[in-house]
Amino acid sequence: MTTRIELEGGALLYVEESHAIPLVEVVVSTRSGSAHDSVEKQGLFRTTLGMLRRGARDLTSHQIEDALDRLGSEISLDVNASISTVYGQVIERNLGPFIELFATLLESPTFPEDEFGRLKREIVADLIGARDNDRALAQRAFRRGLFRDHPYSRSAAGTIPGVESLTTDDARAEYRKHFVKGNIVIGFSGDISLEAAEKHARRLIRDIPDGPRLEDPVPPPAPIAGRRLVFVDKPERTQTQIVIGQLGTSPHDDDHIPLTVANAVFGGTFTSRLMREVRSKRGWSYGASSRLGIDRQRHSFAMVTFPAATDAAACIALQLELFTDLVEKGITARELAFIKRYLARSFAFEVDTASKRLHQALDVELLGLPANYYSGHVAQVEAVTLEQANTALKNRLTTRDLLVSIVGTASEIEGKVREAIPELGAHDIVPFDRD
Amino acid sequence: MSTARAKWIEALNTGDGSKITFEGEVPFGGGEVLRYRLENGLRVRLLVDRSAPVVSYFTWFGVGSRHEKPGKTGLAHLFEHLMFNETESLKAGEFDRKLEENGAESNAATWLDWTYYYESLPADRLSLAVELESDRMAHLVLREPQVASEKEVVANERRFRVDDDIEGTASELLYKTAYTVHPYHWPTIGWMEDIHNFSPEDCESFYRTYYAPNNAMVVICGDIKEKDVLAKIQKAYGPIPSSEIPFEDTHPEPPQLEERRVAIRKPTPTEKLYIGFHGPALGDADHAHLTVLNEILFGGRASRLYRSLVIEKELASDLRGWVATFRDPGLYELHFTARPGKTAAEIEAVLAEELDRAKKVPISEDELVRAKARLELSTLQSMETMSGKAEQIGFYETVLGDASVSFRRLEEYRRTTMGDVLRVARRYLVDRARTTIHVQPEEATSCAPASPRGTEAAE
Repeated sequence: MTTRIELEGGALLYVEESHAIPLVEVVVSTRSGSAHDSVEKQGLFRTTLGMLRRGARDLTSHQIEDALDRLGSEISLDVNASISTVYGQVIERNLGPFIELFATLLESPTFPEDEFGRLKREIVADLIGARDNDRALAQRAFRRGLFRDHPYSRSAAGTIPGVESLTTDDARAEYRKHFVKGNIVIGFSGDISLEAAEKHARRLIRDIPDGPRLEDPVPPPAPIAGRRLVFVDKPERTQTQIVIGQLGTSPHDDDHIPLTVANAVFGGTFTSRLMREVRSKRGWSYGASSRLGIDRQRHSFAMVTFPAATDAAACIALQLELFTDLVEKGITARELAFIKRYLARSFAFEVDTASKRLHQALDVELLGLPANYYSGHVAQVEAVTLEQANTALKNRLTTRDLLVSIVGTASEIEGKVREAIPELGAHDIVPFDRD
Repeated sequence: MSTARAKWIEALNTGDGSKITFEGEVPFGGGEVLRYRLENGLRVRLLVDRSAPVVSYFTWFGVGSRHEKPGKTGLAHLFEHLMFNETESLKAGEFDRKLEENGAESNAATWLDWTYYYESLPADRLSLAVELESDRMAHLVLREPQVASEKEVVANERRFRVDDDIEGTASELLYKTAYTVHPYHWPTIGWMEDIHNFSPEDCESFYRTYYAPNNAMVVICGDIKEKDVLAKIQKAYGPIPSSEIPFEDTHPEPPQLEERRVAIRKPTPTEKLYIGFHGPALGDADHAHLTVLNEILFGGRASRLYRSLVIEKELASDLRGWVATFRDPGLYELHFTARPGKTAAEIEAVLAEELDRAKKVPISEDELVRAKARLELSTLQSMETMSGKAEQIGFYETVLGDASVSFRRLEEYRRTTMGDVLRVARRYLVDRARTTIHVQPEEATSCAPASPRGTEAAE
């Protein structure tokens, strides 16, 4: 059972103890993320967090990295639209000095000008390097096409002009805004006692100023209208990366769990409908799945496949048929019974390490999920009726409004892909290296 | 052996079934791996770990792409896919369905020296894994429609892992160039032409040869009862006959006497380098020392090459080093991605200086301490989950015949001296034993040399 402790100034602590391995995980999260970035300065929050290890108090970046290594420890970042997390992990015997170092990074970042310039150049190089990743290109095109002007359309890493425009004053101000006690949630998992965790957590926030939790600036996203195609054109592709979808659900929707269950039947397991039809029967794609994204607001429903270029049009046509069949006819009682057994029994692997249990508790707290989102998950899944699952499909998904994003070589297959999408409206061809 | 264990083994062995032999315990972390063997040669390794109500069940086969022949490459990997198909008692798709219905996670992997299959299940579902795995070890059905469809899946896997992926293409080319006679020359996934040409007969022959209990090991880790598990294993696997495993007639790779270089062009914005030095086998004492040197050169942001290439000279955006963990001598691989507008030649010049320094000047005591601490952290991280532990046990047992090596490696890292590091640098970082794959951007996709607004030149 994860323990929740209220700390000074509204900060919170979650602890999940396990002595299986002499490692301790330390997590410092904020209840805010890259959705706070302005359109012009996309990438600001993530860049700001990246600066925490680039100079603190009297330590240089190099001294910080040396110290992390010497302690047998690591620090990494995860920033998304709504929350951010600085992860630390350390060999248990070095926990004390690691906390001192971690606290120094959090309370006294110095934002040196030369390091800031260097970090920006690294991020720009990474953004350009990401053009090598076809799957990431397809996901980005999908996200942009689906959410358009909404903050969920953006990547936390930012854009090249956005990152290049940032100043150390921007980063300092951003840091001061987000790193206040009321906006912080700390987590410990692993080889640590509750008492020690509480002591170390208090040290981590000791010199962080008081301040309130930040309001989430994200409005509900608007659905797209009609069927659209974004073709990301890249030379010499023997294979395509395809993402097809629309808006999905919010964790607060009444039919969120029924839709999650129905989606698992469609594309959530190795024997799901998509996998069976696309991979097992036809051998068209190594993987075929569908998933529902979750965040504070309604997020995405997306099908993902990666067939050979020669099969791409046929694969899209098949997926649209399968999707239409799902929405119009729903799932069967037999499928529902099967998937409930899978979801209930496999839940053991969602909670089989202290770290996973901690992160469930943190997700609930940071994203404001229903309190029993994980703890009551199995019971809620088991209670879903066939009618609820099929009503959720009809209420939340539609065959009219769909976005197809694909990475491939346009001169070879773009025409066939267009023909494979009945009632296609807007369609764009985007060079893979446009930004 | 404890008296209690001797008694219940004797009880298990009183029937007609295949006899079980206890082969001792091997320390593993705070616990111990129990080693058993059935009469038909099946090795069984158990680790009782009650930290979560789950169990991981790995089946390792001592066959990988090194056992293939030219013209038939990729068969070991194709086979990994086929093992999820039909058996005499299960229709196509039922294997996965039964596992999913019971909440299991399952997958498989093939590499140069081995193939494994695993299931992680709620602890009370262990019997299902025993039943399914023993069934497909003996009763797989290999028919044309499934073989044909699975060949297509693998061809698609090859497209995304190799043909459309720069790192996959370069890595394949690196091994193809660095090895000339040893089977590490070809990729585990196989050449595309070979994948398309396999027949059900090829698969059947491979299955009958290599998928036998005397070429396999079952590793079970988790919330288990030793005696109950062994009784199940004995009953399910005991009747499976052993096979005649062919003598492995592998030629060692002759010493590489001159540097090899290959350049390719790809639609990528930046230049890349993939370098391989012929290195030690996993079982060689030098392997741990070279791994320590690799940490000093590439491990983390305080490492020598990260500092030099990323921070100080800003020539690279990504770099990695890895000492291959193969049964026979593998490569010490170095990967570099140049910054937009920078060249591989600029990176190579800095690399040459750093490697030269590593061969001439002893590392510092401080560097050694940091490298050892990082390696201890990563060793512990690999044991965080039940499947992580089972994989470690199976990997070291399969490649080196000893599960305890994963923890002994930590001791080897701790014992490594500055002299060891200097010696392995001189022994392995030899230019004539080096192979380099240089990836260059095609004209249309290259980034112009860096300038104040250089990053926009590509737009």
